[in-house]
Amino acid sequence: MTQSLKLYVRTADQTRRAELDLDSANTGADIIQAAVDNWALPADTDYTLVNTTTGRALAPGDDLAKGVRPGDVLEVQPVLVAG
Amino acid sequence: MLDPRRTQRYRRHDLIDWFSQEQVSAARVAVIGAGAVGNEVVKNLALLGCGTIDVFDFDTVELHNLTRSILLRESDAGRNKAEAVVERALDIDPHVTLRAVPGDFWDTLSLGRLQEYDCAIAAVDNFEARLRLNQLCLIARVDMVNAGLDSRWAAVESFPFGASEATACYECTLPETAYARVAERYSCGGLRRRAGVERRIPTTAVTASVAGALATSAALRLGGEGRLHAQRRLVDTIGGAGSTIRIERRAGCPGCGAFGQPPLVVRIRNRWATPHDCAGAAGEAVGEQPLQLSDALIAGYECAACGPLAEAAQYVNRRATTFDDAIATCPRCAAPAVRVDIRDTFTVAELAARFGSGRVPAKFALAEINGGAVCFDLEEPQGS
Repeated sequence: MTQSLKLYVRTADQTRRAELDLDSANTGADIIQAAVDNWALPADTDYTLVNTTTGRALAPGDDLAKGVRPGDVLEVQPVLVAG
Repeated sequence: MLDPRRTQRYRRHDLIDWFSQEQVSAARVAVIGAGAVGNEVVKNLALLGCGTIDVFDFDTVELHNLTRSILLRESDAGRNKAEAVVERALDIDPHVTLRAVPGDFWDTLSLGRLQEYDCAIAAVDNFEARLRLNQLCLIARVDMVNAGLDSRWAAVESFPFGASEATACYECTLPETAYARVAERYSCGGLRRRAGVERRIPTTAVTASVAGALATSAALRLGGEGRLHAQRRLVDTIGGAGSTIRIERRAGCPGCGAFGQPPLVVRIRNRWATPHDCAGAAGEAVGEQPLQLSDALIAGYECAACGPLAEAAQYVNRRATTFDDAIATCPRCAAPAVRVDIRDTFTVAELAARFGSGRVPAKFALAEINGGAVCFDLEEPQGS
């Protein structure tokens, strides 16, 4: 049984934010892809999703029903690869 | 007990109530990569008086490295990075044990050697090296610290494998897109693509110094940081904002999901000619059990049009990553018709048949025996 979650999604630099109603069946990967598409984030970068409210990272394939509650703030963070 | 000259050197550290010079001076750290972050980490570790610092890198110094590499000079151009960095770091503190290990760490850092360190720091510039170091540290139960950066952000993740069997690993939050990037570099299931283009990510000395500082603190667990849980720090080096989040273990993670418990490491030194040696070490249960090698091997090489090829002897039973996809073109008919059979799973009997008493070109082999994971360490101890 899925439910609707009202969430806040933002980029790590907080220049982009959105308040969204999302189905709890959506995965972290779905949200990242939507952020890349809608906010024109650099496509040659990889991203992870972090729940800043709980201070925990979301596993890429997990749906929002795991570890996300209404009102939580999710942050799209870059996966940094240079050294 | 430190000698008097060293005691003088670290007098200011002794004034810090949460800082133990004794612990830092006893620490053994492997720094994988002597690029921008590696330079900063080695500099910090040497200044702090870290006991042993081993620096691994295969690469050579280029002039464009000099804008971000505190320990490199123009005169180092063309030299191995690890050797140049270690030489300069010895000037900082000649009492610290610093060693350069030129070459790819996958070839130079055995599981046995890794287990001698308290921590390995991934200061590398690609996913593949991070995935490999993550796998080694998971098996060896040695803490891993991963540092990454771009032109603005610095991120440091710590994975205290040595402290907790249940800690998350580097792959627990790694997105599918990262695996896709690794896969782009290979074709035919394991041969390197000739036309592969490396991404060049611009970085600065500022992001490198922030990442290097956080990585050093995490590696030495300064202030008791990150003792039990995997975590990630992300810092905006321009605005100063940052976050620290906890990384949870992911069910089915491609990295740590394979091990319910850490694997039992058994050193068999590649003696496949007598499978009993192997079975005897881990019980009698190996039998025809498939073993998953750390490195995919070329198991067969035959042209679809010409049939068996004499050239097969050059490729078969060697690591697939040694070759690029040019070998898929038949040397006889010049058609891209060679079937290159690449596998990483073999039975003990197959390995014995292929390699006899010779060395299997892999670091280790994993098997599930009696419900538990076993890792057969195939490498000779370093220096033997």
